[in-house]
Amino acid sequence: MQRRSLVSAALAAGLLFAAAGCADSDPKSTSGAAASTLKIGFLGSLTGTYQAVGTDLKSGFELYLATHDNKLGGHPIDLKIADEGDGAPTAVPAATKLIKDDKVVALTGIVGGGSVAAVAPLLAEAKIPLIGSNGRPELKDLSGVWTTSFMSTDTGQSIAQYIKDKVNGPVYAIGPDYQGGYDQVGGFTTEFLKLGGTLVNGKATFTPFPTTTNFLPFFSQIKASNAKAVYTFYAGKAAIDFVKQYAQSDAKDIPLYSAGFLTEGSVLQAQGDAAKNILNVCNYSPDLDNEENRKFVAAWKQKHPDATPTTYAMASYDAAAVLDRAIAAAGENPTPESINAAVGKLGQIPSPRGNWQFGPKTHSPIQKWYLRQVRNDGRALANVMVQDLATVGA
Amino acid sequence: MDAYLIPAVDGVGYGLLLFVVAAGLTLAFGVGDVLNLAHGTLFAFGAYAAAKVSDGTWLSLALAVLVGTAAAAAGGAVLSALLVPLAGRGHLAQALLTFGVALVVGDLLVGLFGPDELPVKVPALLDRPVDIAGHSYPGYRLAFIGVAALIAVVLYVVVARTRVGSLVRATVDDRDMVATLGVNPFMVRTGVLAAGGALAGLAGALGAPIIGPGPRTADLVLMLSLVVVVLGGLGSIGGAFVAAIAVGEIQTIGVTSEVTQDFAPFLLFGAMAVVLSARARGLLTSRRSAA
Repeated sequence: MQRRSLVSAALAAGLLFAAAGCADSDPKSTSGAAASTLKIGFLGSLTGTYQAVGTDLKSGFELYLATHDNKLGGHPIDLKIADEGDGAPTAVPAATKLIKDDKVVALTGIVGGGSVAAVAPLLAEAKIPLIGSNGRPELKDLSGVWTTSFMSTDTGQSIAQYIKDKVNGPVYAIGPDYQGGYDQVGGFTTEFLKLGGTLVNGKATFTPFPTTTNFLPFFSQIKASNAKAVYTFYAGKAAIDFVKQYAQSDAKDIPLYSAGFLTEGSVLQAQGDAAKNILNVCNYSPDLDNEENRKFVAAWKQKHPDATPTTYAMASYDAAAVLDRAIAAAGENPTPESINAAVGKLGQIPSPRGNWQFGPKTHSPIQKWYLRQVRNDGRALANVMVQDLATVGA
Repeated sequence: MDAYLIPAVDGVGYGLLLFVVAAGLTLAFGVGDVLNLAHGTLFAFGAYAAAKVSDGTWLSLALAVLVGTAAAAAGGAVLSALLVPLAGRGHLAQALLTFGVALVVGDLLVGLFGPDELPVKVPALLDRPVDIAGHSYPGYRLAFIGVAALIAVVLYVVVARTRVGSLVRATVDDRDMVATLGVNPFMVRTGVLAAGGALAGLAGALGAPIIGPGPRTADLVLMLSLVVVVLGGLGSIGGAFVAAIAVGEIQTIGVTSEVTQDFAPFLLFGAMAVVLSARARGLLTSRRSAA
């Protein structure tokens, strides 16, 4: 009992120090006058297929607010939360309400690329910036769109050189046949071929989504192809099926490399031991050794003792950090326009993933990617940091 | 050719799973004259039971099978009672009612078990790869093939060799004649819907590691078993068997062959269209061949 209260006291003290540290670096904590309350809109999948991701985005953003006095850039924040549902048909009315009724100064979140594509024109019309934290489709007009996650092609691109160096022979690339799958796996195959690597069949194999739940026939093909390694991207239930079946299939002894989402968050616990040793690439790992990450993970564990923070939560936490800095730099009375202009001038952003900055071409992070391996970290299965990979972005 | 061994074996397993489900659906239609569009939902009952009850021990697996089968059988009986006011209104009204029930119950299941597809634990002895002619294959699936084949044999014996079975076959052939013999049609329908539900629940509980429980499970299983029932000839158990194995093979070998890969999503319904246009009554017609 005593031991326990000692631990919580130490934790509380740590948090206090962390909070004090933030206040110091807080760019506008000096302004004396009571700042006006700003409304920020959060849109994410709180129900439906992507509930786990949407909930993580919400938790990440709220964590930043909770650890920063519920203020961004010195202004108290009134966070308006809306449910994106499964995609554009539910996201558009929810976003419309945030824009028209709540009159938010900025919008954040959004799980699905399709939702972003549908909501972006509404935001452009209202001149409200989007600091998105997950989905990022191809968009024509990026002037008011910023994304703190990644471009889908970055993931595979960043690990291509590593696989080329490590694997002596042809690689089998496989993924789901939707845009995210084409981008994720295509990012790898394009770079890998450019580096002189060999792919089985000369190209990636795409499986019908979401109808493919049985991957065994593909694993037989992989085995028969004499591939020396497999690179893949799946997410959600497909990731669970893929990993569990792989471990018992003909291909089980062929090294498996993947985009980090294959083993990220709740799917990892469902995959269990079948996921052990999978090497995956992600822009975040909960065990990264830097000051921002220690603060982030400690605060997260305080709120969610049973869960490890995911890259989704981290990206949303960063969206709040971006808004914090941009609002502080946007003058006494921040408007959507002045906030958007300020985001464009932010430069390096300290983050749990390490420092990053918005790329001028994509308005997405130029960031480092990390190689992780699924191992038992002493308590549970976790993605454990192995080494740095390439820095990618434009 | 070697590369197709495992998919071929797996196709048999997948086909047997579909057969057990579809046998329930085709029984309900052939005997009870009910087009039960909530059949996939009854499968989901069994699958969720497996996910929630089975914790890796043999006893819990047996309990999950029992709970899932009983829950789905009860669900079938309830459907039969719900259908009473629709007597004489035809298949469209039945389809609407059962589909509505499927939507409502599907939503309740999501509310109860969450929107994620749940993982299923199986006993450790089965949760490892086994060797088939030098190829590795999941142990659970191999065991499933054995059990499902046994279920298929039992089903055949019951329908072909027992008094209940002869009643079933008689009802498929001439429902009105059976009624005039003094057999209460409501009891027949309730019994057959409960039995069909039990088959769906049994398949769901045993097949959960293959087609797992989730928000889309009911739709997927309903669609595949409808294809099987249509291909096999409405009401024919033997036809359903042949069709189920064929669908299983199409789903496994079909998706991997270089030639057919691009057409994989269409293979199933392409096969259905071809069979329907060549033989409108299905692969095996039901008259005199219900078994």
